[in-house]
Amino acid sequence: MLTRIAMRLVLCATVVFAMTGVAHAQDAILDRLNDTAVDVKATSDPVQKRAILEKRIDGMVDALSTVRSAPMLSEQDAANIDRVKATLQERSDELAGRNGFSPVPDDQLNAFSSFVVQDFEQAKSITIGVVTLLLIIIIIILLV
Amino acid sequence: MRVHIGLFVVVATASCASAPPKHEAAHGAEPPRYSLVFFIHGDGDYTFHDADGDAHKADEAILASARTVAERNPNAEVFLFHETRRRKLLFVVPRKDGHAYYYRNGELVEERSYWRDQGASRFDPEMTIYEELSATRLQPAAKMFFYFGHEIPEFDGDGYDRSYPKRSFTVPDLTAGLKRMAGNSAKFDVVVLGTCYGGTPYTVNAIAPYARYVVASPENLHRSYFDLRPLEGLDGDWDASAFATEFARNAYERLDEEIETAISVVVYDVDRTISYLNTVEEAYAETLSSLDARSRERTAHCDCAEDPAYVHAGIDDGVEVLYRAPRFGRSKGKQGHSGWGCWKTN
Repeated sequence: MLTRIAMRLVLCATVVFAMTGVAHAQDAILDRLNDTAVDVKATSDPVQKRAILEKRIDGMVDALSTVRSAPMLSEQDAANIDRVKATLQERSDELAGRNGFSPVPDDQLNAFSSFVVQDFEQAKSITIGVVTLLLIIIIIILLV
Repeated sequence: MRVHIGLFVVVATASCASAPPKHEAAHGAEPPRYSLVFFIHGDGDYTFHDADGDAHKADEAILASARTVAERNPNAEVFLFHETRRRKLLFVVPRKDGHAYYYRNGELVEERSYWRDQGASRFDPEMTIYEELSATRLQPAAKMFFYFGHEIPEFDGDGYDRSYPKRSFTVPDLTAGLKRMAGNSAKFDVVVLGTCYGGTPYTVNAIAPYARYVVASPENLHRSYFDLRPLEGLDGDWDASAFATEFARNAYERLDEEIETAISVVVYDVDRTISYLNTVEEAYAETLSSLDARSRERTAHCDCAEDPAYVHAGIDDGVEVLYRAPRFGRSKGKQGHSGWGCWKTN
C-alpha cells in the first residue's frame, strides 16, 4: 500500500517537474518541516512535542544521508545535500543539547518548531537535479 | 441589420475619439503630493508559512498590501509593478509576465500586463509605462521607491528569475532603474529594500546617488517582508527622516511578534554614511572581486563588525539599527549588529 502511494506520488512529481523543468529540493523538505511544526503545536504534551521533532528532523537527516550515498549524484547535488543536511543536523543538536547547545526548554518547543521552518525558508535556494530530488522525496516519504 | 452595425461603428468611433485615456483624465491641475513606486519580484520561490502552518505567497501578499496603500492615499500617485513567473495557456501559449497598476488619488486608473524585458536593460518596459503615465514630472512633496524580492546579488546575478535561469540581475541593474526614475530631479526621499542582505556597504553606496534615506536589512529578512501600513493615509507635514524611522520601527515590531529568526531593520541616512562608505569601498570591492559563482558555496554573510577591515571610526554614523538576535541557533546570544552586512569565506 505504502509502495503504491509512493509510486503515485513519484509519478505525479515526475509529470510536474517535466512540465516546469525546475526542481527545488527545499520545497519537499520545507513542506515536511511545516507539517512537523503544525503537529508539534497541535499537542500540549512537551514529551510528545519533543518526540515529533526528534523523529522528523533525525529522519530527514537519515534520508538525506541515504540519498547522499547514491552513486549517480553530481558533485553539485552532493554539495547541496551536504549543506541541507548540516542545517538539519544543527537543529537536531540544538533540540537535544549536543555540540555546545543547551537543550531547547519544554516551553519553547512550539517556538523552536517555527524557528526551524522560518530558518529553512530563508535558506539559499537549492536547485538539485530531478533524479536526485525524486530520490529525496521517495526516501522521505518512506522513512520519515 | 446594416443600419444597426453602422450605428454601432459610429458610436464606438465617437467614443474613442472623445474620451482621453483614463490616466490623462485623472491628471488634475494639482500634482500629487506623494509618488510611490513599488517593484514586486514574484518570479521565484516566495512561499512562506504563518504560525498556523498555512502557506502564503509573499509577493502576492505584498501586492495586496501595496494596493491597499494605493487606495488609501488620496494625494498620491502609486505605481505597482509585479514581475511574475512565466506561464503558458494550455502549456503552449505564453502569457505576459509583468503586471502594472497605476493609481491616482486613491483610484485605479490604469492596469495592464506587459512582457518583461529579457535583455540587458532590465527595467525598460517598466520605465516606458512609468514615463507614459507619471504625473509627477513636477517634484512631489515626497517620492519613495520600494523593492520587494530576494537578495539582490552583488555578483553572479544569474538565476534570480526562476523562469529565466540565464537572465541576470544585480545591484547595478537596480540602480540603473533608480537613475532613470529619479531623472534629473532630486533623489528619492526614501528607498526601501524589502530583501535579504540589502544593507551592505556596496549596495547602500550604489543607491546613494538616488536616495536620501535607505531602509534595508543587513541580514535575512523573513518573507513576510516589511509592513506597509505606515504608508496608508499619507498627509500633512511629511518628513523623510521621521517617516523612515517610523516605517523601520513599525516593520521591526511587526516582525518581532511573528518571527523566531534574527530581525534586523536599519535606516541609513545616506549623506551621513558616505564618509564610512568611502573608507571601506576599496576593501569591499576587493572582496567582491575575489568571489565568483564557483566560490559562492564557500561564502557567507556576516556582520561587518566581525571583520577588522570594516571596523573604522564612523561605522555608526548615519545608521539607526533595530536588531534582535534569533531566538535559537548559534547566534542566539548575539548582542547587537553594526547595521552593515559583509562577506566572509568559510
